[in-house]
Amino acid sequence: MSNQREDSKKLSNIKDTNINQSYLHLIQIHDSAFPSGNFAHSFGMETYIQEDDIRNEEDLKVFCEMYLRHNFASGDAIFAKEAYRLAKNRDLDGLIKLENICHAVKLSPETREGSLMMGRQFTRTIKPLVEDEFMSLWLEKFKNKEVKNHYSVVYGIYTAIIGVSAKMSLETFLYSSITALVLNAVRAVPVGQMSGVKTVHSMLPIIEEVANDVMGYGLDDLDNNSIALEISSMKHEFLNSRLFIS
Amino acid sequence: MTLRKSPSNRPSHYGQLSLNFEKRHGKTIIENYYQLPPLRSGRALHINPKNPSEATVYMVETSGGLVAGDQNKFEINLAEDANVCLIPQSATKAYPSFNGMWSTQNIDVSIGPKATLAWKTEAMIPYETAKFKGKTVINMAKDASLLWGEILAPGRATHGEKLKYENLKTNFQVWLEDECLIYDALSFSPNQTDLGQLGLLENHLYVGSLWFVSPYAQEIDIKKLNEELQEIADVKVGAALLEKKAVNLRWLASDLVLLKQEMDRVWEILSDYIVEKKL
Repeated sequence: MSNQREDSKKLSNIKDTNINQSYLHLIQIHDSAFPSGNFAHSFGMETYIQEDDIRNEEDLKVFCEMYLRHNFASGDAIFAKEAYRLAKNRDLDGLIKLENICHAVKLSPETREGSLMMGRQFTRTIKPLVEDEFMSLWLEKFKNKEVKNHYSVVYGIYTAIIGVSAKMSLETFLYSSITALVLNAVRAVPVGQMSGVKTVHSMLPIIEEVANDVMGYGLDDLDNNSIALEISSMKHEFLNSRLFIS
Repeated sequence: MTLRKSPSNRPSHYGQLSLNFEKRHGKTIIENYYQLPPLRSGRALHINPKNPSEATVYMVETSGGLVAGDQNKFEINLAEDANVCLIPQSATKAYPSFNGMWSTQNIDVSIGPKATLAWKTEAMIPYETAKFKGKTVINMAKDASLLWGEILAPGRATHGEKLKYENLKTNFQVWLEDECLIYDALSFSPNQTDLGQLGLLENHLYVGSLWFVSPYAQEIDIKKLNEELQEIADVKVGAALLEKKAVNLRWLASDLVLLKQEMDRVWEILSDYIVEKKL
């Protein structure tokens, strides 16, 4: 018994417990019951659906792979990863500069606004859950309209503070972004629920690959070659009927 | 058999064109300039009947294009209230990168209060195996106006050279004082990525971009503009109003002549619009 008590005081045990809680909280913030607003946005996908370019599971897989490799990997994933790094270093000026560019790369107004809406929603939800000086500083800047608080940036800051690893933060960011797109497609195409499950499952190795790549990227790697997706996103606001905000 | 050695010891050129504009006695003039071959400019012409105060300047690249390792630099400064139209005399060409080096072009622009800069649309043509990197940074006052067009070509399409370049990277930034309004970083590597796939170029070859940043941008009927744009067949195009401060238009097309005609048409509409609002 005394040995058991001694063991329970070991630092390694305490650390395990903390990591476990952080990990569970990370799952929680990506849960569909956690209001971050990503189920209201298609980020251009709805235009493809209405133009009949996404009709079935195969089309959806092609679209999701493109989105991961050519949109997230060279955009929001870099912002989330960099925000995480800067928050760990408590580099507020660096975060402000990062966010300025995060805002400016989104050249479709709906995508720009969608990212801000998700940032606002996410912030409202985490605010009562966190007590951290640096996070409070960021939220104060947001309240004073000194920062815009894009979702990828505030997500990166928050996950740095709750104590999960940078890689895990990034992988789950990519995972939940793709899951939201697929669930939206299940409703809008429509495709069967099982097709949605299979699509997300088929994206797992690509998510891992993209996360590994992005871990080595910085702001110089921001680039865009998904021009057609960007145009589809710009055209979305002029569609006659819309299920999604973007 | 030995392969002929590439002329890797060719000296690179460092072209520079600096132009400072200001308004004097109701006309915009070149107040100061500096030019280093192969970049040159013509003198300021006052030939726009709709805006006689505007200085129109033709810019020339006398070498014909950028060879690997070459660097061109433009510095354009507009003082308060100056009105300038800059016209590249021909397309920018990046020749094959025989030594693996990049050719680069940097454009730094500063636009003062109430000033207007219009940069006429031209194409950038990367030849087979070319590596080109372009960076354009525009710093402007909040009440200044900018109209800027550019086309990225897939290569010398008339020679059957389509997407055979090595790398094409461009970075276009617009800063309204401390605020970054536009950060457009494009990167294409046809050997590494299938650019024809869904979401990327989708079997189009040319990328056209038109930027209109102005306090008058918010008055444009963006829905109507979008509807007009969609009437042209075989192009994918979208127009958007960004935060009531800018209109950005993006085209994907397979026919350069058609794309240039359409971009010139919209360019003229927006150019006239600035004059109409300012006068």
